[in-house]
Amino acid sequence: MRHFLNPLKIFVALGCLSAVLSVLVLLGFLIQSSLPFWQAFGIQVLWGDAWYPYESLFGFLPAIVGTVWALLIAMIIALPCGLAAAIVSSEMMSETWRDLVRVGMEILAGIPSVVYGLIGLWVLLPFLQHSLDLLTGHNLLAAGMILSLMILPTIMVMSQDALQAISQEQRESAMSLGLDWQQRLFRVLLPQAWPGIRSGILLALGRALGETMAVMLVVGSMDRLPEPFYNILEPAQTLTSRIGREMGEASFGSLHFSALMGCGLILAVMAMGLSLLAQRRSLIR
Amino acid sequence: MKWFLMLLALPAFLFPLASLVYILSHAWDSLSWSLIFGAEESSSMIEAGQGLWPQIIGSLWLMLWACILALPVAISLALFHALYASRPQQRGLMMILQLLQGIPPIVYGLCGLIVLVHLLHWGISLAAGGVILAVIVLPLLTSNMIHALERIPAEQTESAKSLGLSPVQIIGRVWVPLVWSGFLTGLLLAMARALSETAPILFTATVFSGVDWPDSMLSPVTSLQTHIFYLAQEGSDAHAVGVAWASAVILLMLILCFSLLALALRRLEEKV
Repeated sequence: MRHFLNPLKIFVALGCLSAVLSVLVLLGFLIQSSLPFWQAFGIQVLWGDAWYPYESLFGFLPAIVGTVWALLIAMIIALPCGLAAAIVSSEMMSETWRDLVRVGMEILAGIPSVVYGLIGLWVLLPFLQHSLDLLTGHNLLAAGMILSLMILPTIMVMSQDALQAISQEQRESAMSLGLDWQQRLFRVLLPQAWPGIRSGILLALGRALGETMAVMLVVGSMDRLPEPFYNILEPAQTLTSRIGREMGEASFGSLHFSALMGCGLILAVMAMGLSLLAQRRSLIR
Repeated sequence: MKWFLMLLALPAFLFPLASLVYILSHAWDSLSWSLIFGAEESSSMIEAGQGLWPQIIGSLWLMLWACILALPVAISLALFHALYASRPQQRGLMMILQLLQGIPPIVYGLCGLIVLVHLLHWGISLAAGGVILAVIVLPLLTSNMIHALERIPAEQTESAKSLGLSPVQIIGRVWVPLVWSGFLTGLLLAMARALSETAPILFTATVFSGVDWPDSMLSPVTSLQTHIFYLAQEGSDAHAVGVAWASAVILLMLILCFSLLALALRRLEEKV
């Protein structure tokens, strides 16, 4: 029996080792190659507001502000709509319709981001340009709107799961207490489902944060702070679109390259933070 | 209140549907056999005159390599989780997997660019793209497989053990018949994911044109995903716009093949 056990153990050990090694090597080199940049400029680049790589001015603030705005707009649009859609499909629809909606949402979640980018570029941008009378449709609002379309399925599917997980007894005892539909929703169902909804929101935020192609096509890639800060109708830049735009130009080993790696590192840290937040609650539960 | 909620939910149902219909209707006009397999008269404006066949092949190659590389690693991680890991180790593994899944794909693309393209001197190549995509789909694939293994009733394993079966025999005779559909679902979802990733292969694996068939692992490929992106950059040229929509719909069809099959399998599994 020992004899048969060994190949299995070797296979498992090799697989685990290669997984750990490849992930460690990849992330390790990300940190290592962004080091020269942090050493040269220090942490204060995070709130520097000028980004001119060819004059060695590396301020991350415009891209960070752009990212935050895009996430905020996406959430403002997608959260109420997605949550309402989850409530409608989970509490007000028959089983068949619910399944249908769910399959539809799962299909939509699979549409690649570059296709959403096409829709943004050739449908949303002209529309925004005409209806708001702008010079160019490339702006943060467009990026936020496209992102909201992309994270809608995530929010909806997770919230629907959370609502469906509430037991029938809970619903029935709420009914027997004489609560009407609205009271049941706000006093029983939503508080119970909240942990699930919350991790759905955080997952969706993580996805929106890392989305590159669609944002890159519509955001306009202008490295300056919105002026004034609530102006979302001007071309701007996000962390991902900056990496996508400039990676091709930066030569390997230059400070510019290293700065872009710094962008990647910030993205990774932010995403991991969101992911940890999303997990914390589910672990306690 | 109900009406208000319905009103609020309406855009969530309508807009995604509308955009899907829009893509399909637009692509329908420009989709034709000559577009895919190449036409005799090549339009000199865009080099896409030779058809989208190389792009389709390139996308599928990348997907195939990603899955070939990720599959054994994912299986061994799942087996580690099921056979050898203690409770805290299991929890730690799941946490790390979710953490890795949260990291944006473009960050993996950056890592691959440094390590594979520059430090290992693979250059912009099929191999680099395949490895990066493999790392990207690995967490998804592994957690799907772990969940599939967890669904095995403990009694089945216990009774197999009490019959004196060795671990290899348990896996081969008891687990494989029970979990193959779950594994296949996970694999199909991973394939769909590998096909839809664009950003990480943009600088590591693909070029715009000039490649019909990758001659070796170290030569660049073209792929549908990046082709759409490059064409979108071209802007106003009507032909480019048409080709971009057509590529988008071909890509969508490929992805739907895999993800719908996965959904159908999962449904079948839940019924049994």
